[in-house]
Amino acid sequence: MDSVNPSAGNIDLSKLNDKDKQELQQFVVNESQKARIQGNIHNLTDMCFKKCITSKISAGKLDKYEEPCMQNCVERFMDANHLVMRQLEQMRTA
Amino acid sequence: MQQIRQEAAVQNARQLIEKLNEHCFDRCIPKPSTSLSKGEESCFSACMEKYMSAWNTVSRSYVARLQKEGQAQGGL
Repeated sequence: MDSVNPSAGNIDLSKLNDKDKQELQQFVVNESQKARIQGNIHNLTDMCFKKCITSKISAGKLDKYEEPCMQNCVERFMDANHLVMRQLEQMRTA
Repeated sequence: MQQIRQEAAVQNARQLIEKLNEHCFDRCIPKPSTSLSKGEESCFSACMEKYMSAWNTVSRSYVARLQKEGQAQGGL
């Protein structure tokens, strides 16, 4: 990660015109969102693999129990997440 | 910008490999001996494939869910 492109290292951001600034900002927003989502996918896979793939690993494909289990795991995690948010909101207004 | 995208992709792959190794080592090699046995090796390759399928399934479900919620929010 130390290999910073020398030409990119000394760009003066204040010299960019408005259009380029906006484009750069959009790029940063998009890329950080993408990185966050991918990070979440890694965490979810980590967690759900532990929960769903419990039998002996013999085949590479997900079997007919594992696949829906992974899907449910993601959906319920999101539900739980929303539940926490709702509860916190209630506690805040109570 | 291309460089940043590429580094993000590398980071993503590295993360996947790290987790995959962690899980599959845990599952396939409970008692490390002096070398990997044939059984351990075949378990590992099945486990790798399984973890990647699991990753893809999670990715699809999660993104679909985010899109659904994004639409619901946009419709309000």
